[in-house]
Formats: sequence, C-alpha cells, structure tokens
Amino acid sequence: MDFGLTETQELIRNSAREFLADRSDSSVVRAVANGDTEALASLWKDVVELGWPALTIAKEHGGAGLSFSDLAVLLTELGASLAPTPIVESAITSRIIERYGSDALKSDLLPQAAEGDVLITPAILERDVSWEADSATMAATRTNNGLVITGEKRFVSFAEQATHVLTLVRTDGGEPALVVVPIWKSTGVDQTPLEHVSGVPVSSLTFNEVEVSEANIVATGDEAIAATDELVAAGAVARATQLAGLGRAVVEATVDYTANREQFGQAVGSFQAVQHHLAEMAIAAKQVNHLVHSAAWSFSQDGYSVERAAQAKIAASEKISALCWTAHQCHGAIGFTWEHDLHLYTRRALAWKTDYGDSAFHKSKLATSLGL
Amino acid sequence: MRFEFTAEENDFRRQISEFLDDVLPDNWGGSTYMSDDDSWAMDQQFRNELVKRKWLVMSWPKQYGGSDSSPMMNTIFADEMAYRRAPGLDGFGTRMLGPTLMAFGNEEQRTQHLGAIARGEVQWCQGYSEPNSGSDLASIQTRAVLDGDEFVINGAKIWTTMGHRADMMFMLVRTNPDEPLHAGISLLLVDMKTLGIEVKPIVNMADIHHFNQVIFDDVRVPKANLVGDLNDGWRVGMTILNHERSGIEFAAGARAAIEELIVYINNDDSPVSQAKSDPNIRIKIAELSTEVEAARLLCYDVTWRHGEGLEPSFEASMSKVAGTEIYQKVLDFGLEILGMYGGLIVGSPQAELQGRFLKMRMLSTATTIFSGTNEIQKNIIAQRGLGLPRIRRAAKTT
Repeated sequence: MDFGLTETQELIRNSAREFLADRSDSSVVRAVANGDTEALASLWKDVVELGWPALTIAKEHGGAGLSFSDLAVLLTELGASLAPTPIVESAITSRIIERYGSDALKSDLLPQAAEGDVLITPAILERDVSWEADSATMAATRTNNGLVITGEKRFVSFAEQATHVLTLVRTDGGEPALVVVPIWKSTGVDQTPLEHVSGVPVSSLTFNEVEVSEANIVATGDEAIAATDELVAAGAVARATQLAGLGRAVVEATVDYTANREQFGQAVGSFQAVQHHLAEMAIAAKQVNHLVHSAAWSFSQDGYSVERAAQAKIAASEKISALCWTAHQCHGAIGFTWEHDLHLYTRRALAWKTDYGDSAFHKSKLATSLGL
Repeated sequence: MRFEFTAEENDFRRQISEFLDDVLPDNWGGSTYMSDDDSWAMDQQFRNELVKRKWLVMSWPKQYGGSDSSPMMNTIFADEMAYRRAPGLDGFGTRMLGPTLMAFGNEEQRTQHLGAIARGEVQWCQGYSEPNSGSDLASIQTRAVLDGDEFVINGAKIWTTMGHRADMMFMLVRTNPDEPLHAGISLLLVDMKTLGIEVKPIVNMADIHHFNQVIFDDVRVPKANLVGDLNDGWRVGMTILNHERSGIEFAAGARAAIEELIVYINNDDSPVSQAKSDPNIRIKIAELSTEVEAARLLCYDVTWRHGEGLEPSFEASMSKVAGTEIYQKVLDFGLEILGMYGGLIVGSPQAELQGRFLKMRMLSTATTIFSGTNEIQKNIIAQRGLGLPRIRRAAKTT
C-alpha cells in the first residue's frame, strides 16, 4: 500500500492547482453557469494546451500514456475548483475506444482527441434515466455502410461543445451496439439544452435518421454491454474523484470560515459542536479520497474492480453531498446567500452524486458482486 | 499511490491465516462465549504459539527479541488476527509498555522487563483512568510520595482491564500535587503482588469480567521503578499511547462480521435465509461494506504514514472514530438480521451464531468510549488536524 503521490502525480497536482486557481476561480464557474460559452471555450483551449485531454491516451495514439491513477490526481483538483471543462467526458470515452475499438477507429479518433480537435462525450441515458446498459432502446437500422439511428438520449454533458457522442443503440434484432456518432453541425441531431443544477451545459439529443459508418462501431453484443458497463464505472469513479476534491475544498473553506467568524467573543470554530461537525466532514472527505484512489488504481490495472468502483461512488455520492449540507450549517446565514460561493459546490455535488449512477444503483451492483 | 499489498505481504497474511486454520477450533467465532477462566487459559496457550513463531513482538527491534518488522507487516498481522477473532495478543506489554521502556526506560528496566514480555511470561495492566479522571486524564489524583528509596502510593485506578490476571501494572501517579494538570505526573512500574493492593472486579454490560478497580493503600514501590524523569510521566505515558495504533482491529472485526452475515443469510439452512432476497438487506449490506472498506483504508493510511516516518496523530483519531462506529453499526445490523434470534443470550437453546452477535454488540459499546472517547478524538481531529482554535476556558473566579 502506498498513499503517497508519485513524482509525476505531484507535478500534475501542483501545475493543476496553479492553473486552476488562476483560470477556474468562482467568477469563471459562475460565468459558465450563466451560459457564457466563450468562457467555457477559452478554458477548454487552455486545458488542451496543457495536454490534459491527452493524459491517459496511449503514446502510440498521440497521448501521454499516463495511468487512470494519474488522471485521478488531476480530477481531484478539477473537482476542488469546480472547473467547468469536459475532461471526464473526454478521458472515459478515449479509454473505452482505446480498449474496445478497432485499430482504424483508434488511429482515427484518439490522436484528434488528444489534440482537442475532437471531443467525444458519452450519451447513455434515455427517458427512464437508467445507467444499466441493458436498458438502452434507441433504435439503429443496419444498412450496407453502417447504421441509421433514430431516437433520443438525455442528460448529455457538454453536447454543445462535443464533436461526437459515444452512445449505445439497439440494432434491428435487438443486438446492442456501442457507436461513435458525429454530432458537430450534424443536420440530423437536435439539441435541447436543459437548465441543470450542475452549472455546466447539459442537453438532450434527438437523432433523426442519422447515418453512421460501420467504422464507427466500437463494440456489439455482449462486448458492447461490457464496454458500456466499463464506461459507466469509469465515469462513476471519475465523478467520485471530482467529488473527493470538491469535499476537500468545502472542508477547507468551512475551516477557514469558522476559524475566523467570531461570536460570544471567540471563533465559532472553537466550539465543540462546530468542531465535531468539521471532524466528521474531514473523516468523510479523507475516506472518500482513499476509496476513489483505490478504485482509480484498479482502473490502472488490466480491467477494473467492480466493487471498488461501486464503493467509491456510493461513498462519494452520499458523504460529499451530506458534507456540503453540513458546511451550510457551519456557515450560518452567509452560506445561504447567492453571493457566497458555497452553493456552487453544493449544486455541483448534487449533480455529480447522481451522474454515472447514484448510490442506490451502485449499492445494487455491489450487493450482487458480494454474492447477494 | 498503490492500492495493493506486495507479494511478500500477501504471503505473510496467508501464513497467519494458515496458522490460524491449524490452531483455532472449527467454526471459531471468538472467545466471547467462553468462561473467564477458559478464555484466559486459551489466551496463554495462544500467546505461547505466537512466541514460538516469533510473532508476539515482531514489531520490536532484534536486540529486544523482535524481528524489526515493518509497520505494514505489523498492521497486516493485527488485521488478520482480529479478522479471525484470535486470542493471545498482549496489547499492554507488547504494544504499550515495551516501546515505552525502549524510549524512556533505563538499561536495568529494559533487561528486567522486555525479555519477559517477549517470551509471553508476564501479563501487564495499565493504571491510567481513575474514578474521577476519565477523559480528563491529566486530573489524576492517585498520589505517590517519595519516602527514602520508595514511593508510597495511595489512591484508586479503575477500568483496569486484566487487572485480576496481571503480574505487573504501569501506572500514572501524581508526584507533585502543586502542579495541577500535566506537570507533576510520573510513570511507575508496580508489582501487583505488593502489599496494600486490592483488586475488585467490575462486570461489564456483556456480563464479562474484564475490568477491575484497583485500590492502593500505602503501597510501597522501589524508586528504581520510576520510568523516565520524575514529574515527566505525562510525556512518557502519552508518547506511546497512540504510537503504532492503526485501529485496524475495529475495521477487521467489522469486516469479519459483515462477511459472516453474508455467508449466514446465503445458507438455506439458516432460519432467516429469507433476508437474502430482501432488497433492503442487499442495500444495507452494500452500504456497510463500503463503510468497512472506508474505515480499513484509513487504518492502512495511518500505517503507511508510520512507515514513511510521517507522524500520524489526527489520522489515528480518524481511524479510531471510523472503525469503532462502523463496527457497532455492523453488529447492530447483525442483530437486525437475526430478528428475534438476536435476543438469545450465549448458551440459550435455539441461539443462532452462538448468540455471539448480542455479546459482541454489548462489548463493542466500549469501543467508542475507551482509548479516548470518539468525542475527544473529534476534538483532536478538529484542533490538531484542521487547526481550529481551542475554546478559551472561562477565567477562574475565587
């Protein structure tokens, strides 16, 4: 066991902290939440220059070839700063294409993804908002050249910025297929932007007879289900890791506030009632931190641990959102205002706790994996 | 970061597990159902086995009979032993007094005591708490007055685990009454057979005799039994208190209990096997397993820090709070699963799982209280870990 950062990871953490403090402060987070797409595009441009979309893509495909554990170090910082930028989407779709896609698809898409020329975002959910791969219903008809897709996917993050989606469809015989669909300026794809608590763009997409070439199919049949399960698990761990960073930031902010706010002639943070809230928050944040890095480590091996992924998302979803509410309690009236930044964290935590499976979804997965 | 044990560590865990397979009775569930005498006999027999395998004091330096094993190996050992509810460990001698003597004892004290602890020949007990000094330990009143070459001790210690079995006690006494709190305390080693010591049993809520009250009435102890400097006992007694304490026993106990419950409800012969198809039970088990893993990782974090030479202080408090809380929660859940059977006492006809879960839940009540209550631990986390200010005490008015 080793809970310390490698040299590479320290480098990632330090450069991310420095960059994000400057480029993703609360004014940027608020601007993006208010629909400022230029602020979002400008941040993405800088993020691409830093090479973050390339981080976990293999060197042979133009990436940096780093591990999911290394990515997790970056994700905690992105979570702590609430950075409105689609690194999770980019990283997990690249991973699935790399692990399940054809050589041709990999050499076509991954170098462009590493360069930020394409952005592929997952489009998994439908009207029933189930993260079970088996429940996908969006129809695809087989043609000589590939597929023609008609249907709807909901809650697609950064769809407005994405060039492609990675989505699961059912072909004529009911066989599932995981496929990369170009959506950038595609006439057959309609976007409905949603008003979402996350503060980043989230849309539903309607596909009207969208043609996709055979080469864009990543996997079919059981392999498509396995790939989608892995996509969801990777997304769950990635979101949990962002939540871990978010939790750390909220603990720090609450310590800072309570150590300085005075009542009865002394800092409110000197009262045991407040200290015990904070001690529990700190324990929760550390536990989530360890669980997410343990899960991320399993993704750095061949395959991943279903149990660790589920445990990470269960704990992150429940503990970090609860921690945010307790932080509001510790902040008193000021934390209830729109002006104070605390609610930005709380809103993001609410969005992330359900993204890629809420705790109930992952508890069911975990129970099955424990032999129940 | 690496969230995996090395091959050597896994191999060691396997060795312990195989040893326990050999020496523990079939379906062993811990000694909680045994009589006090039987359990003590088994403890001693087991301790000898641990000595034979050079595991009892493996964490000690070689010069004192140990193996200089790494903190990670020590925690793995403690993890596996607690997971199997194995008897025989000696926390007072091997984990508390031994390292204290190595750090603060003189050559004579080391020669006299360390070998005996390493060979499993002597049972120590700890004399810290007093009837009026629990969480506020620095307020102890038991007095030791120097009279020639001897200290004369008067007062009372309480919650003295193993006091009725112990050969020796290490105790905190007040040697300077003019210094009210931390200053004015010394650490003494006392032979329990000394004239004037009375050990009175205290039976706990699980109906087990672990605790005692120990009364000191003009007990004379050689001056040579002082460890460290006079009036420096707080530092001597506290430095080691949390040293090397990962808290893994609680996470391991919780892990053992949840796994036992999963096997139990999956067994069709179990009268409560319908629980396995109850979605609420599935969800609860997933929740508890997540909490157990979260607590376990905190313990290994403490251990890793120790191995890296980073002083774990509030991290040990975190693992104690998390471990003890989840341990109690898992046992609560066990009683829930057992339903009416959960109310059957050890030895009752028709008891399930030997009635152990009720006994363990009762015993576990102490875990959130002893070694610094969880509330005290949270103060430590907030103040030492997060840097929050201490409350200003009201000025004394006369």
